[in-house]
Amino acid sequence: MDTFKTLQEIISNKFDKPIDEITMDATFESLEIDSLDTFDIIFDAEEKFGIKVPNDEVDIKTIADVVQLLERLRNEQAK
Amino acid sequence: MTPRRVVVTGLGVLSPIGNNPTLFFQNLMAGKSGVKKINTPLADDLDCKIAAFINDFEPLDHFVKNKAATMDRVTQFAVAASQQAINDAGLDLEQEDLERIGIYLGTGMGGATSIEEGYVRLYRENAKRLKPFTVLMAMNNAAGSQVALDFGFTGPDLTFCTACSSSSIAIGEAMRQIRHGYADVMLAGGSEALLTFGTIKAWEALRTLADEDPADPSKSCKPFSSDRSGLVLGEGAGIVVLEDMEKAIARGAHIYAEIIGFGSSNDSSHVTQPSIEGQTRAMRKALNEAGIEPNQLDYINAHGTGTKLNDSTEAASISKVCGTGVPVSSTKSLHGHIMGATAAIEFIACMMAIKEQSLPPTANFTSPDEGCELDFIPNIGRKNVKVDTIMSNSFAFGGTSGVLIAKKVS
Repeated sequence: MDTFKTLQEIISNKFDKPIDEITMDATFESLEIDSLDTFDIIFDAEEKFGIKVPNDEVDIKTIADVVQLLERLRNEQAK
Repeated sequence: MTPRRVVVTGLGVLSPIGNNPTLFFQNLMAGKSGVKKINTPLADDLDCKIAAFINDFEPLDHFVKNKAATMDRVTQFAVAASQQAINDAGLDLEQEDLERIGIYLGTGMGGATSIEEGYVRLYRENAKRLKPFTVLMAMNNAAGSQVALDFGFTGPDLTFCTACSSSSIAIGEAMRQIRHGYADVMLAGGSEALLTFGTIKAWEALRTLADEDPADPSKSCKPFSSDRSGLVLGEGAGIVVLEDMEKAIARGAHIYAEIIGFGSSNDSSHVTQPSIEGQTRAMRKALNEAGIEPNQLDYINAHGTGTKLNDSTEAASISKVCGTGVPVSSTKSLHGHIMGATAAIEFIACMMAIKEQSLPPTANFTSPDEGCELDFIPNIGRKNVKVDTIMSNSFAFGGTSGVLIAKKVS
Protein backbone atom coordinates (compact mmCIF):
# COMPACT_ATOMS: atom_id res chain seq x y z
CA MET A 1 0.00 0.00 0.00
CA ASP A 2 1.49 3.32 -1.09
CA THR A 3 1.76 5.60 1.92
CA PHE A 4 1.41 8.91 0.08
CA LYS A 5 -1.52 7.74 -2.07
CA THR A 6 -3.33 6.31 0.94
CA LEU A 7 -2.81 9.53 2.87
CA GLN A 8 -4.11 11.55 -0.08
CA GLU A 9 -7.22 9.39 -0.17
CA ILE A 10 -7.83 9.74 3.57
CA ILE A 11 -7.51 13.52 3.45
CA SER A 12 -9.42 13.94 0.22
CA ASN A 13 -12.30 11.83 1.47
CA LYS A 14 -12.46 13.39 4.90
CA PHE A 15 -12.17 17.02 3.85
CA ASP A 16 -13.65 16.92 0.33
CA LYS A 17 -10.39 18.20 -1.18
CA PRO A 18 -9.17 17.46 -4.72
CA ILE A 19 -6.39 14.85 -4.65
CA ASP A 20 -4.01 17.10 -6.62
CA GLU A 21 -4.12 19.76 -3.88
CA ILE A 22 -2.64 17.26 -1.47
CA THR A 23 0.98 17.45 -2.54
CA MET A 24 4.06 16.34 -0.61
CA ASP A 25 5.08 19.92 0.19
CA ALA A 26 1.56 21.12 1.14
CA THR A 27 1.27 22.21 4.75
CA PHE A 28 -1.75 21.34 6.84
CA GLU A 29 -2.19 25.06 7.39
CA SER A 30 -2.40 25.67 3.63
CA LEU A 31 -4.96 22.87 3.40
CA GLU A 32 -6.92 24.54 6.24
CA ILE A 33 -6.60 21.46 8.41
CA ASP A 34 -5.99 22.21 12.08
CA SER A 35 -3.97 20.23 14.60
CA LEU A 36 -7.04 18.48 16.01
CA ASP A 37 -8.00 17.30 12.53
CA THR A 38 -4.51 15.92 11.98
CA PHE A 39 -5.11 13.59 14.95
CA ASP A 40 -8.11 12.27 13.08
CA ILE A 41 -6.06 11.77 9.91
CA ILE A 42 -3.34 9.96 11.84
CA PHE A 43 -5.98 7.80 13.51
CA ASP A 44 -7.28 6.69 10.10
CA ALA A 45 -3.74 6.08 8.86
CA GLU A 46 -2.97 3.97 11.92
CA GLU A 47 -6.04 1.85 11.17
CA LYS A 48 -5.15 1.47 7.49
CA PHE A 49 -1.53 0.55 8.07
CA GLY A 50 -1.96 -1.33 11.33
CA ILE A 51 0.60 0.79 13.13
CA LYS A 52 0.66 2.94 16.25
CA VAL A 53 1.96 6.50 16.18
CA PRO A 54 3.43 7.48 19.58
CA ASN A 55 2.13 10.70 21.15
CA ASP A 56 5.52 12.43 20.88
CA GLU A 57 5.60 11.91 17.11
CA VAL A 58 2.47 13.81 16.15
CA ASP A 59 4.09 17.22 15.73
CA ILE A 60 3.74 17.51 11.97
CA LYS A 61 3.44 20.43 9.57
CA THR A 62 3.49 19.07 6.02
CA ILE A 63 2.17 16.08 4.13
CA ALA A 64 5.79 15.00 3.63
CA ASP A 65 6.26 14.99 7.43
CA VAL A 66 3.40 12.52 7.77
CA VAL A 67 4.49 10.34 4.86
CA GLN A 68 8.01 10.07 6.29
CA LEU A 69 6.69 9.36 9.78
CA LEU A 70 4.27 6.68 8.57
CA GLU A 71 6.86 5.00 6.37
CA ARG A 72 9.39 4.88 9.20
CA LEU A 73 6.84 3.45 11.61
CA ARG A 74 5.59 0.95 9.03
CA ASN A 75 9.14 -0.33 8.62
CA GLU A 76 9.89 -0.33 12.36
CA GLN A 77 6.63 -1.90 13.43
CA ALA A 78 6.64 -4.50 10.66
CA LYS A 79 9.78 -5.98 12.21
CA MET B 1 -29.41 49.11 37.41
CA THR B 2 -33.16 48.87 36.82
CA PRO B 3 -34.08 45.36 35.70
CA ARG B 4 -34.55 45.31 31.94
CA ARG B 5 -37.53 43.81 30.15
CA VAL B 6 -36.67 40.76 28.07
CA VAL B 7 -38.46 39.74 24.89
CA VAL B 8 -38.40 36.82 22.48
CA THR B 9 -37.47 37.91 18.96
CA GLY B 10 -36.48 34.70 17.17
CA LEU B 11 -37.47 31.04 17.07
CA GLY B 12 -35.71 27.96 15.71
CA VAL B 13 -36.98 24.42 15.95
CA LEU B 14 -36.13 20.96 14.72
CA SER B 15 -38.80 18.48 15.73
CA PRO B 16 -40.40 15.20 14.73
CA ILE B 17 -43.30 17.22 13.31
CA GLY B 18 -41.49 19.98 11.48
CA ASN B 19 -38.15 21.67 11.15
CA ASN B 20 -39.32 25.26 11.34
CA PRO B 21 -41.73 26.99 13.75
CA THR B 22 -44.51 27.53 11.21
CA LEU B 23 -44.66 23.92 10.04
CA PHE B 24 -44.23 22.68 13.60
CA PHE B 25 -47.21 24.70 14.79
CA GLN B 26 -49.34 23.86 11.77
CA ASN B 27 -48.83 20.19 12.52
CA LEU B 28 -49.61 20.70 16.20
CA MET B 29 -52.87 22.39 15.27
CA ALA B 30 -53.66 19.65 12.74
CA GLY B 31 -52.97 16.95 15.33
CA LYS B 32 -50.25 15.39 13.18
CA SER B 33 -48.12 13.02 15.22
CA GLY B 34 -44.37 12.48 14.89
CA VAL B 35 -44.49 9.20 16.80
CA LYS B 36 -43.54 6.24 14.60
CA LYS B 37 -42.39 2.66 14.67
CA ILE B 38 -38.64 2.35 15.20
CA ASN B 39 -37.10 0.78 12.11
CA THR B 40 -33.42 0.66 13.03
CA PRO B 41 -31.59 -2.69 12.77
CA LEU B 42 -31.70 -3.21 16.53
CA ALA B 43 -35.45 -2.59 16.87
CA ASP B 44 -36.16 -6.32 17.21
CA ASP B 45 -34.30 -6.31 20.52
CA LEU B 46 -36.30 -3.40 21.92
CA ASP B 47 -39.45 -3.89 23.95
CA CYS B 48 -40.37 -0.31 23.12
CA LYS B 49 -40.71 -0.04 19.36
CA ILE B 50 -42.00 3.52 19.04
CA ALA B 51 -40.29 6.90 19.20
CA ALA B 52 -40.49 10.38 17.70
CA PHE B 53 -37.52 10.61 15.34
CA ILE B 54 -36.56 13.44 13.03
CA ASN B 55 -36.29 11.72 9.67
CA ASP B 56 -35.67 14.70 7.43
CA PHE B 57 -32.55 16.28 8.93
CA GLU B 58 -29.57 16.04 6.57
CA PRO B 59 -26.34 17.19 8.26
CA LEU B 60 -24.68 18.01 4.93
CA ASP B 61 -27.39 20.61 4.28
CA HIS B 62 -25.96 22.50 7.25
CA PHE B 63 -22.28 21.58 7.58
CA VAL B 64 -19.34 20.62 5.39
CA LYS B 65 -18.50 16.93 5.48
CA ASN B 66 -15.53 16.88 7.83
CA LYS B 67 -17.27 19.23 10.25
CA ALA B 68 -20.46 17.17 10.30
CA ALA B 69 -18.35 14.09 11.04
CA THR B 70 -16.91 15.70 14.15
CA MET B 71 -20.20 16.89 15.62
CA ASP B 72 -22.62 14.66 17.50
CA ARG B 73 -26.23 14.75 16.27
CA VAL B 74 -27.16 16.80 19.38
CA THR B 75 -24.64 19.48 18.37
CA GLN B 76 -25.78 19.48 14.76
CA PHE B 77 -29.35 20.05 15.96
CA ALA B 78 -28.31 22.87 18.30
CA VAL B 79 -26.32 24.77 15.68
CA ALA B 80 -28.95 24.35 12.95
CA ALA B 81 -31.77 25.50 15.25
CA SER B 82 -29.65 28.46 16.40
CA GLN B 83 -29.09 29.54 12.80
CA GLN B 84 -32.84 29.43 12.23
CA ALA B 85 -33.52 31.49 15.35
CA ILE B 86 -30.89 34.11 14.43
CA ASN B 87 -32.34 34.40 10.92
CA ASP B 88 -35.87 34.65 12.31
CA ALA B 89 -34.79 37.41 14.69
CA GLY B 90 -33.19 39.28 11.79
CA LEU B 91 -30.00 39.68 13.80
CA ASP B 92 -27.08 40.89 11.71
CA LEU B 93 -24.19 39.45 13.69
CA GLU B 94 -21.68 41.61 11.81
CA GLN B 95 -23.31 44.64 13.36
CA GLU B 96 -23.66 43.21 16.86
CA ASP B 97 -21.29 43.39 19.82
CA LEU B 98 -20.64 39.66 20.13
CA GLU B 99 -19.32 40.08 23.68
CA ARG B 100 -22.88 40.98 24.65
CA ILE B 101 -24.37 37.82 23.13
CA GLY B 102 -24.36 34.43 24.87
CA ILE B 103 -25.83 30.96 24.70
CA TYR B 104 -27.55 28.99 27.45
CA LEU B 105 -28.42 25.49 26.33
CA GLY B 106 -30.15 22.58 28.01
CA THR B 107 -29.50 18.93 27.24
CA GLY B 108 -30.27 15.77 29.13
CA MET B 109 -27.95 13.20 27.62
CA GLY B 110 -25.54 15.37 25.58
CA GLY B 111 -23.61 13.41 22.97
CA ALA B 112 -25.43 10.13 23.57
CA THR B 113 -24.77 8.85 20.05
CA SER B 114 -21.03 9.40 20.33
CA ILE B 115 -20.86 7.70 23.72
CA GLU B 116 -22.79 4.72 22.44
CA GLU B 117 -20.74 4.46 19.25
CA GLY B 118 -17.62 4.46 21.38
CA TYR B 119 -18.90 1.66 23.60
CA VAL B 120 -20.04 -0.38 20.61
CA ARG B 121 -16.56 0.00 19.16
CA LEU B 122 -14.86 -1.03 22.39
CA TYR B 123 -17.10 -3.75 23.75
CA ARG B 124 -18.86 -5.15 20.71
CA GLU B 125 -16.26 -4.77 18.01
CA ASN B 126 -13.35 -5.29 20.41
CA ALA B 127 -11.51 -2.23 19.11
CA LYS B 128 -8.47 -1.24 21.14
CA ARG B 129 -9.04 2.49 21.03
CA LEU B 130 -11.57 5.21 20.29
CA LYS B 131 -11.75 7.91 17.65
CA PRO B 132 -9.89 11.15 18.45
CA PHE B 133 -13.03 13.30 18.55
CA THR B 134 -14.94 11.07 20.97
CA VAL B 135 -14.53 13.29 24.05
CA LEU B 136 -15.27 16.47 22.13
CA MET B 137 -18.41 15.02 20.56
CA ALA B 138 -19.72 13.37 23.70
CA MET B 139 -19.17 16.06 26.33
CA ASN B 140 -22.37 17.64 27.58
CA ASN B 141 -21.28 21.19 26.78
CA ALA B 142 -20.31 20.36 23.18
CA ALA B 143 -23.55 21.63 21.65
CA GLY B 144 -23.65 24.98 23.47
CA SER B 145 -19.97 25.59 22.94
CA GLN B 146 -20.27 24.86 19.23
CA VAL B 147 -23.02 27.47 18.94
CA ALA B 148 -20.74 30.05 20.59
CA LEU B 149 -17.85 29.00 18.36
CA ASP B 150 -19.77 29.00 15.09
CA PHE B 151 -21.46 32.36 15.61
CA GLY B 152 -18.62 34.08 17.45
CA PHE B 153 -20.48 34.71 20.71
CA THR B 154 -18.07 35.64 23.47
CA GLY B 155 -20.68 36.39 26.12
CA PRO B 156 -22.01 33.95 28.75
CA ASP B 157 -22.08 30.26 27.77
CA LEU B 158 -23.55 27.63 30.07
CA THR B 159 -25.00 24.17 29.64
CA PHE B 160 -27.91 23.19 31.88
CA CYS B 161 -28.50 19.57 32.69
CA THR B 162 -31.66 19.11 34.77
CA ALA B 163 -33.19 16.28 32.73
CA CYS B 164 -36.64 17.15 31.35
CA SER B 165 -36.59 20.74 32.60
CA SER B 166 -33.08 21.58 31.25
CA SER B 167 -34.18 23.97 28.55
CA SER B 168 -36.78 25.70 30.72
CA ILE B 169 -34.05 26.49 33.20
CA ALA B 170 -31.77 27.57 30.33
CA ILE B 171 -34.37 30.03 29.01
CA GLY B 172 -35.21 31.37 32.48
CA GLU B 173 -31.60 31.87 33.45
CA ALA B 174 -30.77 33.42 30.08
CA MET B 175 -33.63 35.87 30.60
CA ARG B 176 -32.03 36.83 33.92
CA GLN B 177 -28.67 37.45 32.23
CA ILE B 178 -30.31 40.11 30.08
CA ARG B 179 -32.62 41.39 32.78
CA HIS B 180 -29.69 42.15 35.05
CA GLY B 181 -27.39 43.50 32.38
CA TYR B 182 -24.85 40.72 31.85
CA ALA B 183 -25.83 40.36 28.19
CA ASP B 184 -28.03 42.14 25.63
CA VAL B 185 -28.98 39.11 23.54
CA MET B 186 -29.06 35.47 24.56
CA LEU B 187 -29.75 32.39 22.52
CA ALA B 188 -31.44 29.90 24.82
CA GLY B 189 -33.10 26.55 24.55
CA GLY B 190 -32.20 22.93 24.33
CA SER B 191 -31.07 20.08 22.13
CA GLU B 192 -31.47 16.34 22.51
CA ALA B 193 -30.57 13.35 20.34
CA LEU B 194 -30.78 10.33 22.60
CA LEU B 195 -32.64 7.79 20.50
CA THR B 196 -29.86 5.23 20.65
CA PHE B 197 -30.35 1.54 21.40
CA GLY B 198 -28.68 1.80 24.81
CA THR B 199 -30.61 4.89 25.89
CA ILE B 200 -33.95 3.44 24.86
CA LYS B 201 -33.04 0.24 26.75
CA ALA B 202 -32.29 2.31 29.85
CA TRP B 203 -35.65 4.06 29.58
CA GLU B 204 -37.42 0.74 29.09
CA ALA B 205 -36.01 -0.42 32.40
CA LEU B 206 -37.59 2.54 34.17
CA ARG B 207 -41.05 1.33 33.08
CA THR B 208 -42.17 4.79 32.06
CA LEU B 209 -42.48 4.32 28.29
CA ALA B 210 -45.87 4.14 26.60
CA ASP B 211 -47.31 0.91 25.31
CA GLU B 212 -47.70 0.96 21.58
CA ASP B 213 -51.25 1.73 20.48
CA PRO B 214 -52.12 -1.47 18.61
CA ALA B 215 -54.45 0.27 16.18
CA ASP B 216 -52.22 3.25 15.43
CA PRO B 217 -48.66 3.56 16.85
CA SER B 218 -48.69 7.32 16.18
CA LYS B 219 -51.38 7.65 18.86
CA SER B 220 -49.45 5.93 21.64
CA CYS B 221 -48.83 9.01 23.79
CA LYS B 222 -52.09 9.94 25.54
CA PRO B 223 -51.44 12.65 28.15
CA PHE B 224 -54.15 13.18 30.77
CA SER B 225 -56.37 10.54 29.16
CA SER B 226 -57.61 7.68 31.34
CA ASP B 227 -55.94 5.11 29.06
CA ARG B 228 -52.48 6.73 29.11
CA SER B 229 -49.62 4.32 29.63
CA GLY B 230 -46.44 6.38 29.53
CA LEU B 231 -44.22 8.71 27.59
CA VAL B 232 -42.76 8.43 24.09
CA LEU B 233 -39.12 9.45 23.62
CA GLY B 234 -38.34 12.03 20.96
CA GLU B 235 -35.45 14.06 19.59
CA GLY B 236 -34.96 17.63 18.43
CA ALA B 237 -33.91 21.13 19.34
CA GLY B 238 -35.59 24.40 20.19
CA ILE B 239 -33.75 27.72 20.37
CA VAL B 240 -35.14 31.17 21.08
CA VAL B 241 -33.47 34.54 20.72
CA LEU B 242 -34.00 36.61 23.86
CA GLU B 243 -33.27 40.29 23.74
CA ASP B 244 -33.35 43.44 25.81
CA MET B 245 -36.75 44.91 24.87
CA GLU B 246 -35.42 48.41 24.21
CA LYS B 247 -32.80 47.05 21.85
CA ALA B 248 -35.38 44.92 20.05
CA ILE B 249 -37.70 47.89 19.61
CA ALA B 250 -34.82 50.14 18.45
CA ARG B 251 -33.89 47.76 15.66
CA GLY B 252 -37.54 47.15 14.69
CA ALA B 253 -37.51 43.44 15.51
CA HIS B 254 -40.66 41.34 15.55
CA ILE B 255 -41.47 40.61 19.20
CA TYR B 256 -43.23 37.32 19.91
CA ALA B 257 -43.68 37.99 23.63
CA GLU B 258 -42.06 39.26 26.79
CA ILE B 259 -40.91 36.76 29.41
CA ILE B 260 -42.47 38.14 32.55
CA GLY B 261 -41.97 35.31 35.02
CA PHE B 262 -39.70 32.38 35.73
CA GLY B 263 -39.90 30.03 38.67
CA SER B 264 -37.67 27.13 39.51
CA SER B 265 -37.47 24.81 42.45
CA ASN B 266 -36.54 21.31 43.50
CA ASP B 267 -39.11 18.90 44.90
CA SER B 268 -36.51 17.49 47.28
CA SER B 269 -38.79 14.54 47.88
CA HIS B 270 -38.10 11.73 45.38
CA VAL B 271 -35.86 11.25 42.36
CA THR B 272 -38.70 10.26 39.99
CA GLN B 273 -42.03 10.77 41.77
CA PRO B 274 -43.36 14.27 41.17
CA SER B 275 -44.63 16.33 44.07
CA ILE B 276 -47.58 18.69 44.18
CA GLU B 277 -45.67 20.86 46.66
CA GLY B 278 -42.67 21.16 44.30
CA GLN B 279 -44.72 21.86 41.21
CA THR B 280 -46.99 24.42 42.85
CA ARG B 281 -43.94 26.11 44.38
CA ALA B 282 -42.41 26.64 40.92
CA MET B 283 -45.69 27.85 39.40
CA ARG B 284 -46.30 30.28 42.25
CA LYS B 285 -42.77 31.65 42.00
CA ALA B 286 -43.28 32.30 38.29
CA LEU B 287 -46.68 33.93 38.86
CA ASN B 288 -45.29 36.09 41.65
CA GLU B 289 -42.44 37.27 39.47
CA ALA B 290 -44.86 37.94 36.62
CA GLY B 291 -47.12 39.90 38.96
CA ILE B 292 -50.27 38.36 37.53
CA GLU B 293 -53.15 36.33 38.87
CA PRO B 294 -53.64 32.75 37.56
CA ASN B 295 -56.94 33.75 35.92
CA GLN B 296 -54.99 36.09 33.64
CA LEU B 297 -53.38 33.07 31.95
CA ASP B 298 -54.87 32.21 28.56
CA TYR B 299 -53.05 28.91 28.15
CA ILE B 300 -50.87 26.47 30.04
CA ASN B 301 -48.56 24.17 28.09
CA ALA B 302 -48.35 21.28 30.53
CA HIS B 303 -45.38 19.06 31.14
CA GLY B 304 -47.95 16.30 30.42
CA THR B 305 -45.67 13.37 29.74
CA GLY B 306 -48.40 10.75 29.51
CA THR B 307 -47.30 8.77 32.56
CA LYS B 308 -49.94 7.91 35.13
CA LEU B 309 -48.22 9.70 37.97
CA ASN B 310 -46.93 12.80 36.21
CA ASP B 311 -50.25 13.73 34.70
CA SER B 312 -52.40 13.20 37.79
CA THR B 313 -49.89 15.12 39.92
CA GLU B 314 -49.62 17.96 37.43
CA ALA B 315 -53.40 18.21 37.02
CA ALA B 316 -53.73 18.47 40.80
CA SER B 317 -50.96 21.09 40.96
CA ILE B 318 -52.50 23.20 38.21
CA SER B 319 -55.93 22.96 39.87
CA LYS B 320 -54.46 24.03 43.17
CA VAL B 321 -52.65 27.09 41.78
CA CYS B 322 -54.82 28.12 38.83
CA GLY B 323 -58.20 26.50 39.39
CA THR B 324 -59.85 24.65 36.52
CA GLY B 325 -60.66 27.47 34.13
CA VAL B 326 -57.44 27.88 32.14
CA PRO B 327 -57.07 25.78 28.95
CA VAL B 328 -54.21 23.29 29.27
CA SER B 329 -52.65 21.01 26.68
CA SER B 330 -49.75 18.64 26.34
CA THR B 331 -48.13 18.92 22.93
CA LYS B 332 -45.94 15.93 23.84
CA SER B 333 -48.86 13.85 22.59
CA LEU B 334 -47.65 14.79 19.09
CA HIS B 335 -43.89 15.54 19.26
CA GLY B 336 -42.99 13.13 22.05
CA HIS B 337 -40.89 13.85 25.09
CA ILE B 338 -37.73 15.53 23.81
CA MET B 339 -36.09 15.54 27.23
CA GLY B 340 -33.48 18.32 27.49
CA ALA B 341 -35.01 20.15 24.52
CA THR B 342 -38.65 19.55 25.28
CA ALA B 343 -39.28 22.65 27.40
CA ALA B 344 -37.82 24.94 24.74
CA ILE B 345 -39.82 23.27 21.97
CA GLU B 346 -42.99 23.61 24.05
CA PHE B 347 -42.14 27.25 24.81
CA ILE B 348 -41.85 27.78 21.04
CA ALA B 349 -45.31 26.20 20.69
CA CYS B 350 -46.50 28.86 23.16
CA MET B 351 -44.83 31.67 21.19
CA MET B 352 -46.57 30.44 18.04
CA ALA B 353 -49.86 30.16 19.96
CA ILE B 354 -49.58 33.86 20.81
CA LYS B 355 -48.59 34.74 17.24
CA GLU B 356 -51.41 32.70 15.66
CA GLN B 357 -53.95 33.30 18.48
CA SER B 358 -54.59 29.58 18.47
CA LEU B 359 -54.28 26.81 21.03
CA PRO B 360 -52.81 23.41 20.14
CA PRO B 361 -54.67 20.33 21.38
CA THR B 362 -53.85 17.44 23.65
CA ALA B 363 -54.01 14.69 21.06
CA ASN B 364 -55.09 11.07 21.62
CA PHE B 365 -57.38 12.08 24.45
CA THR B 366 -60.09 9.43 24.69
CA SER B 367 -61.68 9.86 28.12
CA PRO B 368 -61.14 11.95 31.24
CA ASP B 369 -59.39 10.39 34.17
CA GLU B 370 -60.47 10.78 37.76
CA GLY B 371 -58.31 13.48 39.27
CA CYS B 372 -57.45 14.97 35.86
CA GLU B 373 -60.37 17.31 35.36
CA LEU B 374 -59.12 20.36 33.53
CA ASP B 375 -59.89 21.82 30.11
CA PHE B 376 -57.29 19.78 28.22
CA ILE B 377 -58.24 21.06 24.72
CA PRO B 378 -58.96 17.44 23.76
CA ASN B 379 -57.94 16.44 20.24
CA ILE B 380 -58.98 19.59 18.41
CA GLY B 381 -57.04 22.82 18.56
CA ARG B 382 -58.78 26.15 18.97
CA LYS B 383 -58.33 28.88 16.39
CA ASN B 384 -59.11 32.57 16.71
CA VAL B 385 -59.01 32.67 20.49
CA LYS B 386 -57.33 35.23 22.72
CA VAL B 387 -53.86 34.04 23.62
CA ASP B 388 -51.95 36.87 25.28
CA THR B 389 -50.42 35.24 28.33
CA ILE B 390 -49.03 31.72 28.57
CA MET B 391 -47.40 29.52 31.15
CA SER B 392 -45.13 26.61 30.22
CA ASN B 393 -44.52 23.91 32.81
CA SER B 394 -41.53 21.59 32.92
CA PHE B 395 -40.79 19.04 35.60
CA ALA B 396 -37.93 16.60 35.79
CA PHE B 397 -36.43 13.45 37.19
CA GLY B 398 -34.17 14.73 39.90
CA GLY B 399 -36.97 17.05 40.98
CA THR B 400 -36.06 20.28 39.19
CA SER B 401 -39.08 22.26 38.05
CA GLY B 402 -39.00 25.17 35.62
CA VAL B 403 -42.00 27.36 34.86
CA LEU B 404 -41.95 30.18 32.30
CA ILE B 405 -44.61 32.84 31.85
CA ALA B 406 -44.69 35.07 28.80
CA LYS B 407 -47.03 37.78 27.62
CA LYS B 408 -47.79 39.40 24.30
CA VAL B 409 -46.34 42.90 24.06
CA SER B 410 -48.97 45.40 23.04
